[in-house]
Amino acid sequence: MGGVKNVILQGEKITRIFCQGKVEIKVLDEIDIKIFEKDFTVIMGPSGAGKSTLLYMLGGMDHISEGHVFYRDKEISSFAESRMGRLRAEEFGFVFQQTHLVSNLTLLENILVAGYVSKKDSAEKVRERAENLLRQMDVEEAKNRLPYQVSGGEAQRAAIARAMIGTPGLLFADEPTGALNQANTREVLNLLSDLNRKGQSILMVTHDLRAAARGNRILYLEDGKICDELALKPYNEMEEKQRERDVSQWLSGLRW
Amino acid sequence: MENLMIIRAGMKRHKGSLFGIAILMFLTALFLNVVLMTAFSGNSYIREEMERAGFGDLTAWTADVPDMEFLLESIREQEGVEDAKVQRLIFSEYEANGVESDSEGQMIPWISAEIGISTRSRYHFFENSLSEYAKAPKEIGEQEVYVSPSMKSMMDLEPGDIITFPIARGGRNLSLTVAGYYEDPFMGSSMIGMKGFLVSEKTYEKILSVIEDSGMDALARNGSMIHIETAEGITVSEMNRVLTTNKPLSMYTEFIHSAETIAGFMVILQNAFSALFAAFAVVLLGAALVVMGHSISGLVEQEWKNFGILKTIGFTGKQLAGQVMMQYMAAVGSGVMLGMLLAVLISGQISRMMVTTTGVLLPIRFPLLPCMGVLIILLLLSAGFCVLCLGRLGRISPMAVIRRECEGQTECGRNLCGNKRWNGKRGFIQRADARMRRKKVSAKHMGYGTGFPAIRAKGLTFHLALRQVLTGRKRYISACLVAGMLVFFASLTGRINDWLGVDGKGMMDAFNPADLDLGVQVLGKIPAQEMEQVVLSYTDITDSYMLAMPSVSVNGTNYTANVITEPERFHISAGKTCREKNEVVLTEMLAADLGAEAGELVTIRGNKGSREFRISGIYHCANDMGANLGMSREGYLSIGEDDSRLWCYHYFLSDPSRKQALTEKLEQVYGGDVYVHENSWPGLLGIISAMHLLIFFLYGVSVIFVCIVTGMAGARILDTERKDIGIYKSIGCSVEMLRLSFALRFGLVSAVGAVIGTLAAVGFTDVIVSSVMQLAGISNFASGNTPGSILFPGLTVTFLFLGFAWLLAGRIRKGDMNVLTAE
Repeated sequence: MGGVKNVILQGEKITRIFCQGKVEIKVLDEIDIKIFEKDFTVIMGPSGAGKSTLLYMLGGMDHISEGHVFYRDKEISSFAESRMGRLRAEEFGFVFQQTHLVSNLTLLENILVAGYVSKKDSAEKVRERAENLLRQMDVEEAKNRLPYQVSGGEAQRAAIARAMIGTPGLLFADEPTGALNQANTREVLNLLSDLNRKGQSILMVTHDLRAAARGNRILYLEDGKICDELALKPYNEMEEKQRERDVSQWLSGLRW
Repeated sequence: MENLMIIRAGMKRHKGSLFGIAILMFLTALFLNVVLMTAFSGNSYIREEMERAGFGDLTAWTADVPDMEFLLESIREQEGVEDAKVQRLIFSEYEANGVESDSEGQMIPWISAEIGISTRSRYHFFENSLSEYAKAPKEIGEQEVYVSPSMKSMMDLEPGDIITFPIARGGRNLSLTVAGYYEDPFMGSSMIGMKGFLVSEKTYEKILSVIEDSGMDALARNGSMIHIETAEGITVSEMNRVLTTNKPLSMYTEFIHSAETIAGFMVILQNAFSALFAAFAVVLLGAALVVMGHSISGLVEQEWKNFGILKTIGFTGKQLAGQVMMQYMAAVGSGVMLGMLLAVLISGQISRMMVTTTGVLLPIRFPLLPCMGVLIILLLLSAGFCVLCLGRLGRISPMAVIRRECEGQTECGRNLCGNKRWNGKRGFIQRADARMRRKKVSAKHMGYGTGFPAIRAKGLTFHLALRQVLTGRKRYISACLVAGMLVFFASLTGRINDWLGVDGKGMMDAFNPADLDLGVQVLGKIPAQEMEQVVLSYTDITDSYMLAMPSVSVNGTNYTANVITEPERFHISAGKTCREKNEVVLTEMLAADLGAEAGELVTIRGNKGSREFRISGIYHCANDMGANLGMSREGYLSIGEDDSRLWCYHYFLSDPSRKQALTEKLEQVYGGDVYVHENSWPGLLGIISAMHLLIFFLYGVSVIFVCIVTGMAGARILDTERKDIGIYKSIGCSVEMLRLSFALRFGLVSAVGAVIGTLAAVGFTDVIVSSVMQLAGISNFASGNTPGSILFPGLTVTFLFLGFAWLLAGRIRKGDMNVLTAE
């Protein structure tokens, strides 16, 4: 990751206020953030810190109360619904904790629909790419099954394949291993690391130390503000234990 | 107490669905009660008024009676006759607003003391607005005339308009100004061609003297109605038979009708429309029950977990079912009660709207027993439906409910049970898997393992909609069924409308014994050839025949005979036409009245003699409520006197568009000496406009139904699919695409319903409508089959569902994607 990094996504003074009756709760407080191209950026923080909220603000999945978000220097926070939809289809990929596959579509169809919506390639190419992704994610066997017929790991890998079908500029992942067992968690994290190694920019929210250790840049969010940041070398399996210790030590310093 | 708390909470939570059910039941109850009130009030009012006004069990119309006292006495002497009263009148053609009458009008003097009957108490008068009664005028002016409100629909007659009566040749016409409207319970309906006109006694006397002075040149005739009361135990048909053999009466009688027949004519239109409305109300009831069933299923699915929790704290399945049932019954009950109450107001309004068609202002009475019957039936049906839909609550154990086993099993808020079936040891398996295994369908074409059509890039929106419909069939079944029912009824009505045609040709064909373009009856001494030359100067005559309609008695009872020079023109439905001199054809109704069949003999008497005729076949003609017969000219002349004035020349023109100009020319040249008519009559306009009103109303109610059904089913679907919508948005699907896809689902299911409804209409319209039309004597209903009548209702209902679903799906725009957030 040497040289000057390009900013792919930038947030300026992002504020999010939720109203509960007459009470206003400021979840994000004027956050300035930059996400760099080809980075595996991780946002950590205690529960309720606003990690997912920040992720969805940056991904245009939710409206921001104040501030601006720029994707490749274009302000996307002012995009109309239809333009935002195009951006999500062409440039962003999302992976959620609960997988969120459409339950009456097979794994393959879930991926195909996303590919068709992105309209980047012909239907044949989308299908070819979907098959490749399923193979790459090791869920080819289960491709014709409905989401409830596969394991959580398989579903999440299919969800990653769906997020990747449109060759997104940035992959957003919200606790992608939160609902998985240990074996499946490792599989999913390996996939994300592989993708990043191949140049995929990733922005992931997690409170799992081992998941965070996959990133090369970790931001710590607390009380609606980014309190600290840890820079790591790109992920290397051989150094995994050391990375986890470094992250753990850093988090201890933040009283996590 | 605890039940009440849960019921209250449930009603609060499901207020949208319950409100929808209440509205559907309100509309259904409103329709049913309006039909009942209008039909019951109309039928009873007409009979009461006829009795009050002194019209007898039988009425004979007579003309040129030299000694009325002698005639009355001879009638009174008949066995079974209790009394006979005369009401004097003058028969005359009339013309107003450029429209000529198609049958003679009857000018009735408004006098205080006739022979036993005072016309002053006989008739009610209307305000000019026709919305209520007015005080009877002190006197009717010599230049004034009062007409039936149906003249407004038939000839567009309004107070101040002029009616011209040709009293005698040589231009001796009488022009009277319409002073107002009166209620004629005897001939007021627009379905009755002969019309009464109330004139002053002085005017009546003046006309009589003109008739006497004119001698042979008189066009109007001195006539009377003799109202005959029969003794108890004597049937009207027996009496009719006796009177037609009474020599003095039969000499002067033009026609005799029973009170029953007259009342039937008076309410024929109202009864026909009541039958149509009643059928529509039944369709609405079916639709309302389907929606209620769907709504209950949705509620059970939504509340499955809560039911489980309530079961763990001691509630039984029956109690839970009872609580849900109470919520629905409260909605149904309030809707039905409100519908009943409002029906009184609506019925009154309808009565006022119909006054120009029925000729009478029907009072709205509340038929307690039938209306209570409707209330009880609606409540029982609804309760039965609830019990049927809620029965499954009792069969599930509390833990199974909480675990969401079997019914209501959900994942991400989606019901998957509809997609599963039980497969022994393997438990529930995907229906699609099972289907795939059974059919061994290629994965490429069948959705990669789902057994459903594949999702394709081209038409992605449609394919997604189709998949949602196929995987969630139960959710859309109510929309499909309701669409089917509405389309069926709309198609049925549309096909009746097509049969009527723009100019009412369908109905005219039903009433005419044979087709025609133009009919000319020569009343004066004009040679028919000369009149034909006038016709030929406008357009060629492609074909012609002559028709007369004298009165004859068949086996002793009077009927109208359609006597034709070319019997092959009769519309024959069974057997063959009456080509031979000793053959007749009967309508289906007359054959049933006489209990006679083709091949049997009947005795027919004319004004010259009588003899036996063989029934050669059955034909269609709805005149006289369908009770008439057809004869050849030769056949009739063997029992009846010939008279040139009997015959009407019916022409087929090479250029029928010249009919109007030709009619005007003939009237200009021959004045009152000819009577020209087309294949139409003024009352038809009223029927056609009433039909259009019905269709307009029907589509209006259908719009409300579609709106409610889409709203109820769609809102629930949108609620359960919040996450799916979020997912689709997260992968870049635009709101517009998702809206369209949602709307397409309803479009698809309603299209399926529309196809079923259209096919049902094609298959059953004629059977159903024929049975209703037979009440009006029309036995040959064959619905119209234009592409419009076939496709329009289905397309309309489908687009309505599509449109309302699209509007409802506007909620997708507001959908919050936080539904996908893990935190």
